[in-house]
Amino acid sequence: MARGKSFFKRITLWRYLFLTVCFIVVVANPFTNYYWNINFIQGWFQSLGVGNLWVVSPLEGLESILTAKSFYMPSLVGMVVPVVLALLMGRVFCSWMCPIEFLSLLTDKVLGLVPKWGRKLKYRKDLVRLAKYTIWFSLVSELLITMIIGYPMFVWWSPPGLVGRETMFYVFYKHITVEAVIVLVVLVLNLITRRMFCRYFCPLGALLALIGKKRQLVIKYDANRCVGCKVCDSRCPMGILPSIGESQSIYCWNCAECVDACPTSALNFVWRDKGIILPTTQRLN
Amino acid sequence: MEKKTDRRGFLKVSLSAFMAGTLFSSCDLSRFKNPKTMIKSPIRTNILRPPGAVPEEHFAQKCIRCGRCGEVCPYHCIKYFDVKTGGVFSGTPYINVMEKPCYLCMKCVYVCPTGSLVPCAKEEVRMGVAVINRQICVTWQQEKTGLMCKTCFNVCPFSGIAIKIDHDFRPYIVEENCTGCGICAYSCIADTYPENNGKKAIAIQPIKWKKIKEVKLKDIKNS
Repeated sequence: MARGKSFFKRITLWRYLFLTVCFIVVVANPFTNYYWNINFIQGWFQSLGVGNLWVVSPLEGLESILTAKSFYMPSLVGMVVPVVLALLMGRVFCSWMCPIEFLSLLTDKVLGLVPKWGRKLKYRKDLVRLAKYTIWFSLVSELLITMIIGYPMFVWWSPPGLVGRETMFYVFYKHITVEAVIVLVVLVLNLITRRMFCRYFCPLGALLALIGKKRQLVIKYDANRCVGCKVCDSRCPMGILPSIGESQSIYCWNCAECVDACPTSALNFVWRDKGIILPTTQRLN
Repeated sequence: MEKKTDRRGFLKVSLSAFMAGTLFSSCDLSRFKNPKTMIKSPIRTNILRPPGAVPEEHFAQKCIRCGRCGEVCPYHCIKYFDVKTGGVFSGTPYINVMEKPCYLCMKCVYVCPTGSLVPCAKEEVRMGVAVINRQICVTWQQEKTGLMCKTCFNVCPFSGIAIKIDHDFRPYIVEENCTGCGICAYSCIADTYPENNGKKAIAIQPIKWKKIKEVKLKDIKNS
């Protein structure tokens, strides 16, 4: 496991920590709001309010604009932060913040503890593989259904939002709603194919991937260093093949699993602009 | 050659038919007769939107169900519909004034990120209109009950403006000034009078599909 890198240099360690912190923020803020009336942080990933900073999830905001056919400035301004984040770093919301990713990761880790088959279960083979572009159909159909019905749909069935909402329901009203089934279904789909929902069906992920098509932060594949062990292909939770340079494609979500798995560090995060700017400055000097 | 149906195929078909049947029957089919009622708003008497809400036809379109209004509400009176009770309105906020009325602290309107709740002053709130049932109100039925109750007048945050009392101390609503907060309906004591069978004398009727200024007495009586 991660032979080439020491424990603290692994990027995935920071990813797990960050995911945990985000999950705790989302799960803990109903408690702080309900029991201590601390309203510093409100909401969850559909709209998170930290003090005066309001963050609105891009797809939900877009659906709201499409169905209401009117603009509201705080909503637009709230969408700036996630859109800029996606423009620069791609789908990092999905891999570094989403509570569903946290829960999926947790199930993976628990499965990894099973004696004997733990390793096989953790990096299991995908039983069902769909075409990667299914996610675009998912985004388009989601938006079309929303506009045909005239009411935003993803706002109430978005699995990351539901994690926060069910917690809030449980804390505030002491019951959870039927929609919790959606979260369970998403987690069960994980057993068939790793991150099946995130790969093929999540409209929010599709929108973020679309925004981050020309992202700055990419995983660079160095063919000179690669020894062809293909560990990265088995580790990738999105089912793409970094060993043939697919890590720069639109479907990569910058989770750094392959970067840490690579024994020869042939895969590395690079800031795309740096690769262009650096040679010119060197020439000038 | 004749195509055979083996056991597995039969099981698959029957199982999927069973699943589809249960799913289909669990839907409320009566709602599908008229396409307009498929997405019918669950807002009704005493079930109201929070203060500052845009007209009901735009509310569910604008709201992104982030739940921040409910989290800041210090009285925890804002509740949310789920799929069972609200259909596509799932996750939108409501206030059931009979469980807990709105005390017009106006905190929720300042956290709404989508403009479903528009910031406004206390007296501009129009969540609905209180309607007094004079057959049940113990003061209006003074001759029968021999009681004189001024509870609604006393608890109203705009008493003397939204609820007035006439020369016989009988309350009446001034519809133009009523915010629909529901405190009067919540604290009405008429349900404790044995002959009323637990009915309250005041109910809040939501102002739906109408601009606030267009609400007229005629509409309120019809609703």
